[in-house]
Amino acid sequence: MTSLIIRAKELLENKTVQVVIGYEAGPTGVARPAFITDPAKAESLIYDERCVQNLAVYLTKREVKNIGKMAIVATLPVMRSIMMLISEQQLFADNIVVLGISADGKLLDIADNKVMQGYIEKSDLSNPEKYKGLLTEFNKLSPEEKFLYWQKELSKCIKCYACRQACPMCYCTRCTVEVNQPQWIPVKANTHGNMEWHILRAMHLAGRCISCGECGRACPVGIPCHLLTMHLTDQVYNYFKVYAGTSEKMSSVLSTYEPNDKESFII
Amino acid sequence: MARIGVFICHCGENISATVDCGKVAETIGKLKHVAYSTEYKYMCSDPGQTLIKDAIKEHKLTGVVVSACSPRMHEPTFRKACAEAGLNPFLCEMANLREHCSWVHEKNELTTQKAIDIVRTQVEKVKLNSALQPIKVPVTKTAMVIGGGIAGIQAALDIANTGHKVVMIERSPSIGGHMSQLSETFPTLDCSQCILTPRMVEVAQHPNITLYTYAEVESVEGFIGNFKVKIRKKAKSLDEKICTGCGLCTTKCPQKKIPNEFEQGMGMRPAIYVPFPQAVPNRPVIDKEHCTYYIKGKCKICEVVCPTKAIRFDQPDEILDLEIGAIVVATGFDIKHADFFPEYGYGKYKDIIDGLQFERMASASGPTSGEIRRPSDGQVPKNIVFIACAGSRDPAKGIAYCSKICCMYTAKHAMLYKHKVHEGRAHVFYMDIRSGGKNYDEFVRRAIEEDHVNYIRGRVSTVFERDGKLIVKGVDTLLGAQPVEIVADMVVLATAGVANAGAEDLAQKLHVSYDQHKFFAEAHPKLKPVETNTAGIFLAGACQNPKDIPDAVSQASGSAVKVAALFSQDMLTREPLVAVVNRYAPPMYSTCVGCFLCQSVCPYQAIEREEFKNREGKVVKTVAKINEGLCQGCGTCVALCRSKSIDLLGYSNNQVHAEVMALLNEY
Repeated sequence: MTSLIIRAKELLENKTVQVVIGYEAGPTGVARPAFITDPAKAESLIYDERCVQNLAVYLTKREVKNIGKMAIVATLPVMRSIMMLISEQQLFADNIVVLGISADGKLLDIADNKVMQGYIEKSDLSNPEKYKGLLTEFNKLSPEEKFLYWQKELSKCIKCYACRQACPMCYCTRCTVEVNQPQWIPVKANTHGNMEWHILRAMHLAGRCISCGECGRACPVGIPCHLLTMHLTDQVYNYFKVYAGTSEKMSSVLSTYEPNDKESFII
Repeated sequence: MARIGVFICHCGENISATVDCGKVAETIGKLKHVAYSTEYKYMCSDPGQTLIKDAIKEHKLTGVVVSACSPRMHEPTFRKACAEAGLNPFLCEMANLREHCSWVHEKNELTTQKAIDIVRTQVEKVKLNSALQPIKVPVTKTAMVIGGGIAGIQAALDIANTGHKVVMIERSPSIGGHMSQLSETFPTLDCSQCILTPRMVEVAQHPNITLYTYAEVESVEGFIGNFKVKIRKKAKSLDEKICTGCGLCTTKCPQKKIPNEFEQGMGMRPAIYVPFPQAVPNRPVIDKEHCTYYIKGKCKICEVVCPTKAIRFDQPDEILDLEIGAIVVATGFDIKHADFFPEYGYGKYKDIIDGLQFERMASASGPTSGEIRRPSDGQVPKNIVFIACAGSRDPAKGIAYCSKICCMYTAKHAMLYKHKVHEGRAHVFYMDIRSGGKNYDEFVRRAIEEDHVNYIRGRVSTVFERDGKLIVKGVDTLLGAQPVEIVADMVVLATAGVANAGAEDLAQKLHVSYDQHKFFAEAHPKLKPVETNTAGIFLAGACQNPKDIPDAVSQASGSAVKVAALFSQDMLTREPLVAVVNRYAPPMYSTCVGCFLCQSVCPYQAIEREEFKNREGKVVKTVAKINEGLCQGCGTCVALCRSKSIDLLGYSNNQVHAEVMALLNEY
């Protein structure tokens, strides 16, 4: 991606930004996040099919923010994350330069957030194709079967919280599970407590999940926990016709009320 | 160390009939940290309260649990008793053994066990209570009355006469409401306009009343004593200060065929109009929907003829921001129209009219100048049928309630008809005659006995037209359900009173509750009939349920007293049960991440931003802060906060957790 390298170098050289967040190849060839502050090192930036992580997760980290103005290599999920972070006041629009990457891997010219919004609006915002089949299959199960399925899957959870760490929308500096006065969610990794954690995580992301699937990908024991949040994404869209991360002025769909909201979920 | 006192009330027999109070007191007395546990027949009585006060002093109690009824009833009583004994009132909690236990269960072991469990949760909670101090907030001593019908007028005048400012909002061009449309009023048959117009004029001239007609409530924020209201003053297309009300424009307007709302569609009006001759204010408005200029872009005849050049076609709607201390809702009611009734031809027969149309017909200023004439051909009807309970008391039509006013006005209509058409025959079909009220039954008897109105007890199944006459088919249940068929010239339906079209929308703006029929709900059906569940918002008149004039006026005066009582204080004392966002030492400052989702859910706009700056003055963190003057302690933000950075004083996470754990754990 020479165009990406040239652009990153230019931004660092003319001091438009102090850091470029992108991908580089690690020693074993695995793509890993790179934080480039020296224009000379922009050469190491890559973008190919290995680059799947949602880099937006670093935008709210204090260590990264403290470097200064940031540029970020942004695929569609990253762009949507940026929109959500701005709407939830975790990021300021003038503190970020977006190096947009199109679905076919080309560098996009994202001059500002309006352009980015236009690009997002034109894109398919439903859950990614590769998960749709699973979600459809999953929806065919009875409530009892669903419960058994999740009981089995979540019994594997070791509460490492990788799902939380990988998620760009889980930016709290203190997570609910770290509250021990009182300890609502037990610390121990047991099936019951694991379920409490995952239900809580899904509810905290309802209407906010931008369907990047990073939580499931990050899970070391292979729990498809992204299905929970993606299912909620579908539900929110069905009820309110809203996808998360489409503008920097989004109001949280589940905590705002419009008189014409459907109320079919009230039993 | 905590020393908790527990006081179990029998509530006469309300609790002790199903709960073994002695056993509850004994079991609770053995719990850790419970220093004193006792039972008594009436804790709320004077000796009962003395019992608590003495125990606080004698046993050096640090917390009190009164196990009795709902805190809604007696929490203030017991908190006050604790305060008198020197204990902070917020160290007193109530366990609800009546509504939550004794009233809903039968007498057995399990009921007593449940009572013990309920008390245990409160014992655990009260251990974590902290001594709180009441919050004082100022009161804006201006009332807003929504609706300028007779109820609104009465409320506004009563409040204004106590010396407080009143803002009256009326959505139509004139105040007066339904009462201004009525011909004569029961049970005295005095002219409605004659008794109403002096009040209307008084509103307009009162130095303490600001009147906004053609205006609607846009939004209401804030809380008792401190509402922030936005009013949309719809453009009248006219400079009211210059207009003299000469009425020349209304006579020259080329649009003359617009159904007149005031005449219930039985007369016509121009596009620039004054709704009725006695209107207050007596200034016209332009109906933009029908005005030729607004539709086609040219005409402006009114502007040409206006001697003072008062017409303003480009006048925009105006938004006013008002600071209001109390609100009286007096938005009135509407009636079902004839097109609601399939059995009576869905309004397609011109000579079937509703009660309000008959009022206009009987009114000297109405479309027929007070003569009773058929709308179809202008003939004087010789045979007239009144159908009471048209829609009302009919669950099949979704209106199970009695509209209350119809029995009386139907008797009045029949009487007015007989007074105007001496040789005519009036028939009334009725289910029951509900004429409770001073001089009401006498009035109905007079219609039957002196004016010879033919009252038939039974319902009408159908009305249809044959040879220009209306055939009314019904039964007479007093003659063994014998079928009755009357060939009538005109039929008047006493249609059901229903909530106004915009009632639901307004209720949501005001955050007041409403019933299934969209009538506004009072806070208590017997003891708080003029209050709503939202403090500082009161009800007057038929927006609560259909009412006659005396009832509406009494209720309006009632709500005016409530407003005056509120305004008699300079500061309101509020319970300190408010939410707080946590604070820690730097560099943490707070665990709040500043997502401000709490701001969007707060119904009281109580959440502000607080910035923390470093020594260079650079903002290092922005977090939420709750304005305790605005917070009502609803806890919505607490539930929403993902990082659990908000806590509700008096109902903290720790306290609720302790209650839950008390239920789960052995004791």
